[in-house]
Amino acid sequence: MAPVFPPPSGPQRAAAEIAGLTHRYGGKAALDGIELTVPPGCMAGLIGPDGVGKSTLLGLIAGVRRLQEGRVSTLGRDMADPAARREIAPRLAYMPQGLGRNLYPTLSVRETLDFFGRLFGQGAADRARRIDMLLEATGLAPFPDRPAGKLSGGMKQKLSLCSALIHDPELLILDEPTTGVDPLSRRQFWDLIDRVRAGMPGMSVLVATAYMEEADRFDWLAAMDAGRVIASGSPAELKARAGAATLEEAFVRLLPDRPAAPPLVIRPQNASRGRTAIEARHLTRRFGDFTAVDDVSFTIPEGEIFGFLGSNGCGKSTTMKMLTGLLDPSEGEAELFGQPLRASDIESRMRIGYMSQGFSLYSELTVRQNLALHADLYHLPRDRRQARVDEVLDEFDLAPLADRMPWDLPLGQRQRLQLAVAVLHDPQVLILDEPTSGVDPVARDGFWHKLLSLSRDKGVTIFVSTHFMNEAERCDRISLMHAGRVLEVGAPAEIVARHGADSLESAFISCLEAELPPDPAPAAEPAALPVAGASGTAPRLAGMTRLWAQCWRETLELTRDPIRVFFALAGPVILLLTMGYGISFDVDRLSFAVHDQDRTPDSRALADQFTAIRQFAETPPLTGIADLRARMGRGDLAVALDIPDGFGRDLTRGDRPEVSVWIDGAMPFRAETARSYALGVLSDYAAASGAGQAGVNIETRFLFNQSFKSAHAMVPSMMMVILMLIPSIMSAISVVREKETGTIANFRATPVARAEFLLGKQLPYLAIAWVSFWMLFAVGRGVFGVPFTGSLGALAAVSFLYVFATTGFGQLISSFTRSQVAAVFATAVLAIIPTVNFSGLILPVSSLDPMGRAVGQGFPSAWYQQVTSGTFLKGFGWAEVAPSAAVLAAFCLAYVALAILGLRKQEA
Amino acid sequence: MRSLLNTLRLTLKELSAIRRDRVMVVLIIYVFTAATWLVSNAASTEIRDLAVAVVDEDRSPLSHRLTDAIRPPLFAEPEVLSPAEAARAQDEGRYVLVLSIPPGFERDLRAGQAPALMVLVDATAMAQAGNGAAFLQRLLADELQRYADPGGGASDPVDVVFRNRFNPNLTATWFTSVMQLMNNVTILTLILSGAAMIREREQGTIEHVLVMPVRPHEIVLSKILATGLVILLASISSLVAVIHWGLGVPVTDSLGLYALGAAVYAISVGSIGLLLATFTRNMGQFGLLVIPVIIVMLLLSGGMTPMESMPAWMQVAVGIVSPAPHFVAFAQSVLYRDAGLALVTGELLRMAAMAGVALAVVLARFRKVLAG
Repeated sequence: MAPVFPPPSGPQRAAAEIAGLTHRYGGKAALDGIELTVPPGCMAGLIGPDGVGKSTLLGLIAGVRRLQEGRVSTLGRDMADPAARREIAPRLAYMPQGLGRNLYPTLSVRETLDFFGRLFGQGAADRARRIDMLLEATGLAPFPDRPAGKLSGGMKQKLSLCSALIHDPELLILDEPTTGVDPLSRRQFWDLIDRVRAGMPGMSVLVATAYMEEADRFDWLAAMDAGRVIASGSPAELKARAGAATLEEAFVRLLPDRPAAPPLVIRPQNASRGRTAIEARHLTRRFGDFTAVDDVSFTIPEGEIFGFLGSNGCGKSTTMKMLTGLLDPSEGEAELFGQPLRASDIESRMRIGYMSQGFSLYSELTVRQNLALHADLYHLPRDRRQARVDEVLDEFDLAPLADRMPWDLPLGQRQRLQLAVAVLHDPQVLILDEPTSGVDPVARDGFWHKLLSLSRDKGVTIFVSTHFMNEAERCDRISLMHAGRVLEVGAPAEIVARHGADSLESAFISCLEAELPPDPAPAAEPAALPVAGASGTAPRLAGMTRLWAQCWRETLELTRDPIRVFFALAGPVILLLTMGYGISFDVDRLSFAVHDQDRTPDSRALADQFTAIRQFAETPPLTGIADLRARMGRGDLAVALDIPDGFGRDLTRGDRPEVSVWIDGAMPFRAETARSYALGVLSDYAAASGAGQAGVNIETRFLFNQSFKSAHAMVPSMMMVILMLIPSIMSAISVVREKETGTIANFRATPVARAEFLLGKQLPYLAIAWVSFWMLFAVGRGVFGVPFTGSLGALAAVSFLYVFATTGFGQLISSFTRSQVAAVFATAVLAIIPTVNFSGLILPVSSLDPMGRAVGQGFPSAWYQQVTSGTFLKGFGWAEVAPSAAVLAAFCLAYVALAILGLRKQEA
Repeated sequence: MRSLLNTLRLTLKELSAIRRDRVMVVLIIYVFTAATWLVSNAASTEIRDLAVAVVDEDRSPLSHRLTDAIRPPLFAEPEVLSPAEAARAQDEGRYVLVLSIPPGFERDLRAGQAPALMVLVDATAMAQAGNGAAFLQRLLADELQRYADPGGGASDPVDVVFRNRFNPNLTATWFTSVMQLMNNVTILTLILSGAAMIREREQGTIEHVLVMPVRPHEIVLSKILATGLVILLASISSLVAVIHWGLGVPVTDSLGLYALGAAVYAISVGSIGLLLATFTRNMGQFGLLVIPVIIVMLLLSGGMTPMESMPAWMQVAVGIVSPAPHFVAFAQSVLYRDAGLALVTGELLRMAAMAGVALAVVLARFRKVLAG
């Protein structure tokens, strides 16, 4: 295999020194009193089963996790000291666990590297040179424009590595970099690391891995178990100490109190009953113009373990999904025990147990609840359910974990739970998509014990995909898939023989290499990666470069999601149009009816006064009080006039007859308006009959909106509502999305300051929101004809401040919440209520009671409403908007400051 | 039967998902308690304690008398300001109404010269400007009448008695509290149900659900049922505890019928939430789509401004796409007008029909959207 680099001679500080390190998650210790010195300038590895604290330890060394107890010094700097962390960040590179989890799926290869270059403050020319060099060296040069999300697993890992190497780190920390990657890509990955190290001899590399064969070629290893380091030294030393031939064996023996698992014996398959369990004929599946699976056929007899190998993205998962009925094939057909398989077929689903690649059980249910849910949904006999759940808990050693939440379990145990769920209903066929990816060797063996017993004892047919060659060797037959096609099918030994190879791995690789163009990385040039040399950008300038990097990336990501941009720009305009036409206080056509018991010309004259104005729409006269009650009860009648018998007679006598006006009070605003109209009618009536108002003329003048048009008042206020809600919901996603997808790791592991990160991400939303302001302004002027009397410059400037504040509000929520759902929910709930009710949309802030006013003024929208309404209708200029502008600026600062406080640079 | 059991089982699962999400639970509680109380109490369109300023350039006994006539409960105690102060204050939106009494007003009146009083109205405050001005005008007219004819009764030829059915004092809280409750139901149900769908896809659990022997309609119904149940319980408790006990709004007589309507409404809004979720791919898109929908449903429901004041075509359009106006009509009839089931069946059926249409579309798109 690859050459082993001896540690460079000469005195050098340790790559990392760790003393008394303990780390707890919710009271449970993940690391327990670690004492460790990682030697410098070599390949150092952390090995151990899942959940022993490897990732936590790496995170602490990289400074992305907050130190709780003990001391960690990385490259001689104390990681508890924020200043030291800032200083050391440019000398470290950290690649988190998970295939491509720190990549941005919509960014192209070159854009990704450009982004990372900027994060380290590199200038354009410097960056371009380094990127070319890295792409050349890793063989990614032919695909600079391919989005990261569309790369195969191996290429994603190479790209992640490039982004880690762009700034010539002194310490490279890799957390399970090859998990879930096929053997060929894995080999290429390690060759690349070797070449990098040849070019940068001083660089230390610290790797966590579950692959013992990889660990075997490291210079130094630390074996971990249950939060402690149980042994450290070179692989040879460890093997010698345990007296074992292989590292895997040595590791198992070094475990203190774990009984050695019985060796895995591959029992031969029972005599086949000759039935065909799964038959695939010419299966093809296309997504758009991409063919994921291309004319695949195979037959699997009952009780067989059929292995499925292939590089990432070759169509394995798609084939498996077609066999479970999750996807319908574009062409061809699949049969299960002779029955055609269709997506809607409930019968066949009872016969299949499926385990998807990622964890797909409910994270909000406990282990037992997940099992119970499946027992119910598969309708096991009612009296058997409880017993079956207990049985499975025992069988898969999950009983002690029954009340834990799935995400609190290490990956290996989670996968066991998924398998337990898949077999709960005793299916005849199991379809398992990379069930052991990321699972440590001990747990993997346990897993295969279960599979073998299912196959050999219960006759279950198992269709399993894997990247582990030793697992593939345990299958009865395997098939090799590449680029949607099946290249090979047969027993493992047959395939090795057919290729004249010495192992299945080399057979697999030679088979793939025949298909692939040769790896473009020139293996002949060992020192392909010369050190690019330090780049000297002034610190302040570097800060601006980093801020700009965040802004540029957020903009790219936004433009790659055109639906979001469309909603962000069209949503406000549509809202304004709807609201401008829809919300109106011009109460018109109130249904009106008369109950005239007098029927004289005098009573008719009074009734005519009411029906003469357009605000009252006459409906058929009332027949009595019962009729009035019924019609008003149905909501058909808003106002009724009741004229008693003898009205005309009393009026003529000057006896002031009494009439009643009935108003439907169910909606108070409408009732008050109806009352004021009725008062107006009665005044006119009084004036007409000669009773004056003592000779005074009371004149009412409507200021700012002479025509008293609702649209004129509503449009400026609606701008306030829209520019609050849409921009804040847009930016509310920004930070929390990174937390969910894992790209937040780049923020934690690089020298980006919190303010740079937040402001950079806010700028694109700010720009969209400001464009949106201009669009709303144009609609208000053009469509609704709202007059504009004030200073446009002042409005535009204050609007900028306002959308700065509202996008800042979204980011504030985003930095505090953990999930996108919670962020959207919290933003909507917290913003809608004060904006709609307490900011002057319906009611002027001045007529709110003190509490409502306080709520309104505690939010930017109430201040902005004064400015929109003032500049549109009241002729406000710079001087009048200045106080509001100052308050809004304070909101901007406060939101940004709080968001910075809420965003942690380190994980717990 | 089997289908029913599956739906119930999945509903229980959804309920435990909601229970585990602490942010959601806190927000739901906040919205149905503090927020409901705050909005009902603090924001009302009724004319009460309206801010009024008086520019008294006459400073005569009559002008003082007029100023004194402006009193609570309709108006706040008026501030006497100089013309310049009043103009600035009204610019700043501090007073909706300013009464201007010209110099020599009383003298001119006594001289029979018909002087003019001026009421300046800030017409940007639409909800209160019109009615407030009308009431102030009426008040001034009455006061002047008493001044002109101290011993005599009112001069109006007829004596008009106003009777407000269903809400005798036109207490706005009666109305705004219930409308606020409806707004909360709308906001929460839309987001909760839509998020339940999107989360299933983003967390990958939908892959598992689709290989289980459950049918899409069971999954969809379980989400609606779970969301509807939570929201319904929260809103009924809020109606009783916050609105009835806390704010003293008489609503309990028809609680049963109201609960039925609220259930139908929650289901129809939940269906619309799911429908929106099928048109978006991630939470970012969903958030941007759901906000305008919420705002339209809130503001064009008849709960904020009267339905009558919308253009006729828009009343029809909103009535077709949004269940909110139907629920507002239903709630007003049931809670205030004591209408029985027979009177509101039409509104219930309309809401149910909307739920049906939305669910049909969701089911038609289900597999394509979630698995694709």
